[in-house]
Amino acid sequence: MSVEPDAHRAQPRAVDYDDAIVKKFIVATLVFGVVGMLVGVILALQLAWWPANLGLEYTTFGRLRPLHTNAVIFAFTGNFIFAGIYYSIQRLLKTRLFSDALSNIHFWGWQLIILAAAISLPMGLTQGKEYAELIWPIDIAIAVIWVVFAINFFGTIAIRKVKHLYVAIWFYMSMVITIAVLHIVNSLAVPATLTRSYPIYAGMTDALVQWWYGHNAVGFLLTTPILGLMYYFLPKSVERPVFSYRLSIIHFWALIFLYIWAGPHHLLYSALPDWAQTLGMVFSVMLIAPSWGGMLNGLLTLRGAWDRLRTDPIVKFWAVAVTFYGMSTFEGPMMSVRAVNSLSHFTDWTIGHVHSGALGWVGMAAFAMTYWLVPKVWKTELYSVKAAGLHFWIATIGIVLYVVAMWAAGITQGLMWRALDDGGQLKYPAFLDTVLQLMPFYWIRLIGGLSYLTGMLMCCWNVIMTVKNAPAGDAAVQPAVAK
Amino acid sequence: MSDNYVPDQILGHADEADGIEEYDNRLPRWWLGLFLFTVAWSPVYAIHYHFIAHRSQAAEYEAEMAAAAERWPQMSAEDVAKMEVTEDVIAEGKAIYEANCVACHGADLHGGIGPDLTDSEWIHGGTRDDIIQTVTNGVADKGMPSWGPILGPEKVAKVAAFVHQAGGGQ
Repeated sequence: MSVEPDAHRAQPRAVDYDDAIVKKFIVATLVFGVVGMLVGVILALQLAWWPANLGLEYTTFGRLRPLHTNAVIFAFTGNFIFAGIYYSIQRLLKTRLFSDALSNIHFWGWQLIILAAAISLPMGLTQGKEYAELIWPIDIAIAVIWVVFAINFFGTIAIRKVKHLYVAIWFYMSMVITIAVLHIVNSLAVPATLTRSYPIYAGMTDALVQWWYGHNAVGFLLTTPILGLMYYFLPKSVERPVFSYRLSIIHFWALIFLYIWAGPHHLLYSALPDWAQTLGMVFSVMLIAPSWGGMLNGLLTLRGAWDRLRTDPIVKFWAVAVTFYGMSTFEGPMMSVRAVNSLSHFTDWTIGHVHSGALGWVGMAAFAMTYWLVPKVWKTELYSVKAAGLHFWIATIGIVLYVVAMWAAGITQGLMWRALDDGGQLKYPAFLDTVLQLMPFYWIRLIGGLSYLTGMLMCCWNVIMTVKNAPAGDAAVQPAVAK
Repeated sequence: MSDNYVPDQILGHADEADGIEEYDNRLPRWWLGLFLFTVAWSPVYAIHYHFIAHRSQAAEYEAEMAAAAERWPQMSAEDVAKMEVTEDVIAEGKAIYEANCVACHGADLHGGIGPDLTDSEWIHGGTRDDIIQTVTNGVADKGMPSWGPILGPEKVAKVAAFVHQAGGGQ
């Protein structure tokens, strides 16, 4: 039996795939990547140098911070996922998307939601739930558009021309279903006015529902769909067989089953009952191996393509993305252990952790996919492989600066908060004492964030130049807004 | 496990996966070991924490407070009330003042953000007991924090003794 990979097998292209929608989502990904990361850089500056608040209520940290998180999670990552899913499911299922109309309603609806968020959040309109700040009318719009996406997605599966569902699609399905459940349950509220509502949960119940949502937004928006995209775009990029089908099944089911219980680790040492805290902790620890299953399948798929790691930026982006995924998914469970959490909770360590996932895993995967996908859908070559390679290094250095600065800041903060003097009193009772100590780290973080943003801008430039050089007729959707 | 396992065998789904081939390799042993270990460890930890060691957040807090009380014995409320104001007590009070109070009341007690402690006017009373009350409970309206929980009764009494003497209390 042959053990030679056979990934080059030509597919007869009988189906007229809808790539126009993919192009739109790619452009939106890049635009909101720049916006989200720019706001992040402004926030990093504000923390190091408070006059960057500008003295306006609209530009204070409290207003811009949710704008940053929503823009990066739902606008940048959301559009990136939609672009990748719409491209890959058509090929994997050998059919055009279920409905062009639904695809376009999905696209424009999602962008309108982002616009509404970009207006309402700086105005201070918020539900006060982290990562679920948007007010109730926007929440309803999200639910409606998500259902449109779900119909389009499952409709495409229903009309598929193949029997077998490739592993990427299971990961996509877990996102479509779970995000709907999470968003609707966590956002249940009684409206008081057009812009204000009261959650139907109170006190600890509200906190628990919120972090069940918050943790699984990370799990099912920033993890599972991107693992799905990895299972499609990584083997496509390196033209190698996936390491293990068996591993993909087992880590998939283990991951989605265990993830959903781990939310209470956000509420360790709170009013949450001890048993629920234990539950959150042990389910987080059990998540290490299922998460690493994804990392292993990614890294081991690169076997036999390691020579390309030196020359192909796409392979570099994937290798670093998957490595950061493995690192973050080890760090997360560790931070969920009571003893570690008592030091790390409420410190900048948490910020470092989330950015090693967001910049290292999500961002690098998005760039890997973009550099591979843009030339494919615009039927041309990437304008500058060299610039993509430079982007890789600038971004990687940016992440390392960011994450190391936040580790150092977080541990410093945690140790200062618990330090006692000879008399048994708090050694640093004034919060300001700790803040002044963190200033150098905040400046380093700013440099890291600026590097990462610079890379993002280089990516946009490279895509614009690529599209400009695309053969006429296929350049219909130019990323003009990205300029 | 059969011994005729050969790694890197193509599964043959590629025509239904846009040309992506998949091997059907075994789970890496160490990975499976890690997974089974965490799954086995979790109930052991949970049962031990709750039902064998009877640990809890509240118990952890009480144990820490008990250890602190032993290491840094606090004067009882009665002892604090009976405390004699000696030169040593004033000196300790001065150190406490310099560590905590100068930011608002000034190094020379002439005030700044907070009121002057040397003038003849005592807004909240100028006896030693009044000062102890003011320091302990703070003045929320004016932004003075309650120092009772931060300093403890002994230090409050000492800093009050210093302020009473240096500020010319009643």
